[in-house]
Amino acid sequence: MSLSFKESRRRTASAFMYALCAASTLAIVTVLLMVAGYLAWIGASSLSWNLLTTVPTGDVANPGGMRHAIDGTIVLVLLAAMLGVPLGVLAGIYLSEYPEEARLTGPLRFIADVLTGVPSIVVGILGYELLVVPVSRLTENSISFSGFAGAGALAFIMIPIVARTTEEMLRLVPRSYREGSLALGATRSQTIFRVVLPGAFGGITTGIVLAMGRIAGETAPLLFTALGSRLLTHDPRQPFPSLTLQIYTYATGPYPEQRRLAWAGMLVLLALLFVLNLAVRIVAARQARGRLH
Amino acid sequence: MLRWACRLSGLVIAAMLAALILVLANSALPAIRKFGAGFITSSEWRVNEIERPLRGPDGKVVMGEDGVVMEILPPAFGALPVIYGTAATSLIALVVAVPLSLGAALFLVRVAPRLRIAGPVSFLVEFLAAIPSLAFGVWGLFVLAPMFQNSVAPLLRRILEPVPGLHWLFFEKITVAGRIIERPIPLNGRDLLTGSLILAVMILPIITSVSRDVLRSVPRIQIEGTLALGATWWQSCVAMLRYARSGLLGAVLLGLARAAGETMAVTMVIGNNNQISASPFAPAQTMASLLANEFGEATDGMHRAALLYVALILLVMSLAFNVVARKLVVGRPSHAVH
Repeated sequence: MSLSFKESRRRTASAFMYALCAASTLAIVTVLLMVAGYLAWIGASSLSWNLLTTVPTGDVANPGGMRHAIDGTIVLVLLAAMLGVPLGVLAGIYLSEYPEEARLTGPLRFIADVLTGVPSIVVGILGYELLVVPVSRLTENSISFSGFAGAGALAFIMIPIVARTTEEMLRLVPRSYREGSLALGATRSQTIFRVVLPGAFGGITTGIVLAMGRIAGETAPLLFTALGSRLLTHDPRQPFPSLTLQIYTYATGPYPEQRRLAWAGMLVLLALLFVLNLAVRIVAARQARGRLH
Repeated sequence: MLRWACRLSGLVIAAMLAALILVLANSALPAIRKFGAGFITSSEWRVNEIERPLRGPDGKVVMGEDGVVMEILPPAFGALPVIYGTAATSLIALVVAVPLSLGAALFLVRVAPRLRIAGPVSFLVEFLAAIPSLAFGVWGLFVLAPMFQNSVAPLLRRILEPVPGLHWLFFEKITVAGRIIERPIPLNGRDLLTGSLILAVMILPIITSVSRDVLRSVPRIQIEGTLALGATWWQSCVAMLRYARSGLLGAVLLGLARAAGETMAVTMVIGNNNQISASPFAPAQTMASLLANEFGEATDGMHRAALLYVALILLVMSLAFNVVARKLVVGRPSHAVH
């Protein structure tokens, strides 16, 4: 009797925990969909064409649009990519293609992984100390916040991510490709440039675009470097606007009209990220198919 | 040629880490020299000099020959309140997020594949990991905080306040004119608890996806062995969790590192007050939110050095969490973290 009682208790416990696991999955998906759904819903209701085409008016009741901030984010991300992509990809090649230097690449891989976990606010402060303070001293300006400094801080976040994804993608290229190329008399560099890199091109591009999406959503690194601006500017030597900074300013401010703009701006940012993700997945899938045939 | 270019780029990564540590340490040097290790145990955070009437041990204003005797409190900087804020928010976030994440990870590994929903659910979790923290901040500020202010906190108050021994949850003691008085904490939804819950939501995806990968790498034979011995579904899950415990600890630590360093969302909902309060309904401050709030306005040299000292502590702490976590989660594909 006691055994069967134990048995049924153990089965009930199992069923209970099974239900709990299913419930927690449901809870996570629900909460996260709630966040995304709410942002989309409220954002969509305050979305307008003016948002994309006009710049701030300075009038809190009729605050204008976010054209300057959208342009700013695009410029910042492109500038950061100009620095981050070459360095990141080359570092990724180093981590993957030079196994004989494992004594150096092993620790470097670990450092790259650890760097992806550094709080972004700390990166922003480093950017301030390295790219804003010295420039202020040099130019004898009061404080030289600039688009360049913001892009530098974003590149700092981008480099380790691009390096690690590049490495992972290069590792997917079969060893036999490299051996075949080397056996035909190609040098190491020729093998990397003509065989290995083209083989991993789709994956590396995907990684780069996803990294660009990640830095486009960053706010903290820009607080003390790009600073933000209400002007439409394309001169990165000046304090520079960004979508995230503008949303933060508006969202934490007291004016309801600006708060609505923050919602709408957030929707624009999320839509931008979503389209980026989607485009990359489609292109990568098409490329993978093209290579097979 | 290429080898050198690659090696150089690799070394840039090492240089980045070195720059982080050296530049922050160097800029924080004045504060490190002045406060030393006592910085982390002191809870005074006074940016500007304060002049106030001197009070005797009885709490009464001391009168001198020409009126009230004033005392001048010099600026002081101590990191205890923000260290407490970071620790408390991160721990509450973990307590909420870890059971949910582990349950979901078990579901994704043991149940979802059979129902053919592992793909879509995993995709959702990973897509949501890519939502910027500012989005969670905006959501927290406009949805979660008002919800707490208008319904959750008043409800909790009505239920918990009459309970003996829980009085401290809703009242705080403050010093006014030398006397300690008690007043109710204004429940405005921007407090330690809201900050913690936002963090919990934000670390769900990372803990779920990393522990899912860890659980997936448990050898099949381990599970089958327990089932062959007559274990129930849950008992074999427990065996699985036990087998993967170091990797799971790594997943939790990655979540902890993310929570401790998270800036924008917390800054927007935590209330930003450098104080240590026993009540989770009181506004607080974390290291990251202190930096986001004050660094831009820190013109005074020692104030800035003190903030950099806080940044250095935050950096060293998150580096330590990350190093340990990644040592524990070995052989896990790295894309799950990004």
